[in-house]
Amino acid sequence: MTVLEVKNLNKSFGRNHVLRGIDFTLDEGEVLSIIGSSGSGKTTLLRCLNSLEFADEGKIIVNGETIFDASVNKRPSEAELRLKRLHFGLVFQNFNLFPQYSVLENVTLAPNLLKKGSKEEIEKYARELIDSVGLSEKINNYPCELSGGQQQRVAIARALAMKPNILCFDEPTSALDPELTGEVLKVIRSLADKNMTMIIVTHEMMFAHDVSDKIIFMDGGVIAEQGTPDILDNPRSDRLKAFLTSF
Amino acid sequence: MNSFFEQFPTVFQALNVGFLQTLKLFAVTLLGAIPLGLIISFGSMSKIKPISALVRVFVWIIRGTPLMLQLLIIYFFPGLVFNNPIWGGGEDGRFIASAVAFIINYACYFSEIYRGGIQGVPHGQQEAGQVLGLSKGQIFFRITLLQMIKRIVPPMSNEIITLVKDTSLARIIALQEVIWAGQAFMKGSQGISGAIWPLFFTGVYYLAFSGILTLLFGWVEKKLSYFKA
Repeated sequence: MTVLEVKNLNKSFGRNHVLRGIDFTLDEGEVLSIIGSSGSGKTTLLRCLNSLEFADEGKIIVNGETIFDASVNKRPSEAELRLKRLHFGLVFQNFNLFPQYSVLENVTLAPNLLKKGSKEEIEKYARELIDSVGLSEKINNYPCELSGGQQQRVAIARALAMKPNILCFDEPTSALDPELTGEVLKVIRSLADKNMTMIIVTHEMMFAHDVSDKIIFMDGGVIAEQGTPDILDNPRSDRLKAFLTSF
Repeated sequence: MNSFFEQFPTVFQALNVGFLQTLKLFAVTLLGAIPLGLIISFGSMSKIKPISALVRVFVWIIRGTPLMLQLLIIYFFPGLVFNNPIWGGGEDGRFIASAVAFIINYACYFSEIYRGGIQGVPHGQQEAGQVLGLSKGQIFFRITLLQMIKRIVPPMSNEIITLVKDTSLARIIALQEVIWAGQAFMKGSQGISGAIWPLFFTGVYYLAFSGILTLLFGWVEKKLSYFKA
């Protein structure tokens, strides 16, 4: 079943045309990795999906519901926007945990404020999530007491607590020391095993190859090549060949 | 009454009364300037250019001229220019005029501190709240505010300790604060004249009070040291 349809997405910042007609679909339970060099528009695409940016052209459809249509002039109200955002979760490159809250409070803050259940239910689910990212022992610690890898795992649990349809990752390991990337990738892999629908912007080619159902290679604001992870072994386009040799 | 020990009870009494007025001005200034500063800081960060420009010029004028001059202008201007002395002549009038001048002056300094505090919180904090579906109000009150407070405590404590001593500027319009009370014994008051020690002794009040505030702010900083922002 198709969860996400992106149609002809275009976005410019001033004269810089960052996205030039992006089309793709994603099925439920699929993992999509987006690769490409810096400035190719990967992060902008994720930010458009999460309504942190608004595309100039194109449509975004989640579960058959059009959540964004650039041809409709009316800017969505603050309240509408908040509902649309809940289809997606986003894990940031630099974690963005709330420093004044403990691990548990980081995970429970949004569900509690948005009344996603009773306090007890929310806390129970949060404890399960924190356990599933392997941080039960750190549940009452503050972000400044955690390593980068641990912080990113908390950020994943925080995003999952809102039960998004699609979880997005924006270079989740790029701000980590090499020895810490493994623990974060392991968590993402375990989510893939549980059939979580995910979009991962990453530079970890091996990981993308192993974990993904679909790969999109972006270059200069367009999808230069897409397909199964096999395209990483047998790239058709010269641009992808050139990109892969740089690793 | 010539010896220090004979003079002390009378002087002590008078200085206490004066210091009460100092404290009152201090408290009223904070009560007014802390919220007004927030409004001014929002104005200076406004996306509507004319508003932010106007507010910034205002802040520049207030921060760029002496508080003593502002006190004199606010106190005398309505009476001298419009022939309408809105403040009245008595101690109450002088107090209100002083409070108005101090609140405006300190609100401008505070607004710049707030602006730094607000802009210092990484934008990612706001975005993290947005993608979790939180409203602007929830993001401000539950995420940004405490981080901002942590950032502004050290510069605010500086300004507030400066305010303790700046209250003495109200002497220029004869507000009967502690310096005025001490000086009175030089000219002659309650049978004591030509005594300079009461004026010097007012320093003890300022020292004690700023000492208490230093301890208080140290405690607040320590309370907020459990997280890094």
